[in-house]
Amino acid sequence: MTDSIHISLEDLTLYAMQALSSAERVPIRLHLAECEICRAELAAVSGDLALMAMSAEQHALPEGARDRFLTRIGAAATPANKIVEIDAYPAGPKPQTRRVQSWIPWTAAAALLVIAAGLGSLLYRTRLDLQHETALTSAQTDESRRAREVLEVLTSRDAQRVVLTAGTPHPVPTARAIYLASRGALVLQANNLAPIEAGKTYELWIIPANGSAPIPAGLFRPDAAGSASVVMPQIPVGVQAKAFGVTIENAAGSSAPTLPIVLVGAVPSAGE
Amino acid sequence: MSGDNSNPISPTGRSSFNQERTRVAAGDDALMDGVRSKDQAAMAEIFDRYAGLVYSISLRVLNDQGYAEDVMQQIFFEVWERPQSFVPGRGSLAGWLSVVARNRAIDHLRRGKPSDSIDEVVLPAQSNLSVEAERRLMMEKVRTRLELLPKDQQESLELAFFEGLSHSEIAAQTGIPLGTIKTRIRSALHLLREAVQA
Repeated sequence: MTDSIHISLEDLTLYAMQALSSAERVPIRLHLAECEICRAELAAVSGDLALMAMSAEQHALPEGARDRFLTRIGAAATPANKIVEIDAYPAGPKPQTRRVQSWIPWTAAAALLVIAAGLGSLLYRTRLDLQHETALTSAQTDESRRAREVLEVLTSRDAQRVVLTAGTPHPVPTARAIYLASRGALVLQANNLAPIEAGKTYELWIIPANGSAPIPAGLFRPDAAGSASVVMPQIPVGVQAKAFGVTIENAAGSSAPTLPIVLVGAVPSAGE
Repeated sequence: MSGDNSNPISPTGRSSFNQERTRVAAGDDALMDGVRSKDQAAMAEIFDRYAGLVYSISLRVLNDQGYAEDVMQQIFFEVWERPQSFVPGRGSLAGWLSVVARNRAIDHLRRGKPSDSIDEVVLPAQSNLSVEAERRLMMEKVRTRLELLPKDQQESLELAFFEGLSHSEIAAQTGIPLGTIKTRIRSALHLLREAVQA
C-alpha cells in the first residue's frame, strides 16, 4: 500500500474516495499526519474528485428548497441579521393601474389628513427616540465607569494575584511501548487512561512499516488509577513497525482497528 | 481560491452599484466572510450559487430527490453553522462543496455516520469556479473527456465514485483484479485532470 517513503497515488485516490476499509485507512491516516508531500498529493487527488463530482448532470432544486433553507438559518440567527426582502416599491404604496379623476379632491384632502397624522406620529416617535437615546447614553456611561474600575483592578501593582486550579487536574493519558521486532517481543505500559465502559476494551495495534494491515497486539483495561500494561502478547516475529496505536473495541477485541485512534506513537526513524 | 478575488467589475464601476448588486458580483471569499459574520444575505447568495450543484451531485449518488435535498440542506446548514470548515486558500468553494456533497451522499447511501468531517476535505487552489460560465465550461470539458474514456475505465470510476463501491467490491462484481481496478480509477481521474488543464 505504501512504498518505503510515500503512499501510492492509487491508494491515495481510494482513500480520498472513502473506498478503503477502516483497517486500510489507519496506516494512510498516520502517514498523512506526518508527510506534507502526501498531503499535497491528496489535495490534488481531491481536486480530481471535485471535477468528477461536477460531471453529474445538473438538476433544478425541488420547489421550496431555498425557502426551507432560509427559514432554517433564520431560526438559528439573531433578529439583527434577518434578511430584508427587497420590495420593488419600498417607499410608498403600490402603483394603481386605474384611477378615477373625480376622486382627486377627496384624495387630496385625505392625503393632507394622512400627512398631518403622519407628522404628529413622527413628532411623537422622535420624542420617544430622544428619551431612548438619553437612557442609552446614561447606561453607556455607567458601563464605561464599570469597565474603568475593572481595568484599574487588573492593572494595579498592589493587587494580589493567585492562580487557582482544580484540586486534581485531569492527567493526560500516555503509553510507552518497547518493541523488539526480531523477537516479536512487545511491552506496553499505559498511564492515566480514561475508564472504559463495560463491554469495551482498549486494543493495542502494531502498524507495519510495509503498509500491510495493522496487527492486533493485545487487549487491556485500566485499573482504578488508570494504569494498564500489555506484556509479551502473541504477535508475529520480524514485523518492522512504523507506529503503534490504541483503539477502543468491543470486549472480545477486533481484527481491524475501529477509529478513532485514542493513542498513537510513531517509531522514530533511524538517527532520530 | 486563487481567482476568487478577481471581480470582473472595475472598482469605479462597483462604486455605483448598490449593496445587493455588489454582493452578486462578489467572489466566494467575500461571501464566506459575510457568512462568518452571520450575514444571511451572503449565505443566501452562496446557496443560490451552489445549491443546484450540491443537489445534483447528491441526486446522482442517491437517485432520490428527498434524500438528495436532505443531504444538500444539511451541508449548507453546516456551512452556515461552521463556516470555518472551509478554509480559503485550500481550494475553490465549488470544488470543496462538490467533494463534500459526494462524500455525504455516499455516507447516506451506506446509511452510516459521516466518515469524515467536512473540515478534512482539502483541495488544491484552482481556477475561479465562482463564475458560473467558467464552471459550466469546466463541467463540459469533464463530461466530454469522461465519454471518451475506455468503457472499462469509465465503469470502474463511476462504480467507485457515484455508487460508493470499494475497490474490493468492484473487483468482486466485475471479476477484475484489485490492482487493475486501482490503476483504472487512478488513470481515469488523471485524464480528467489533464482535460481541464488543457
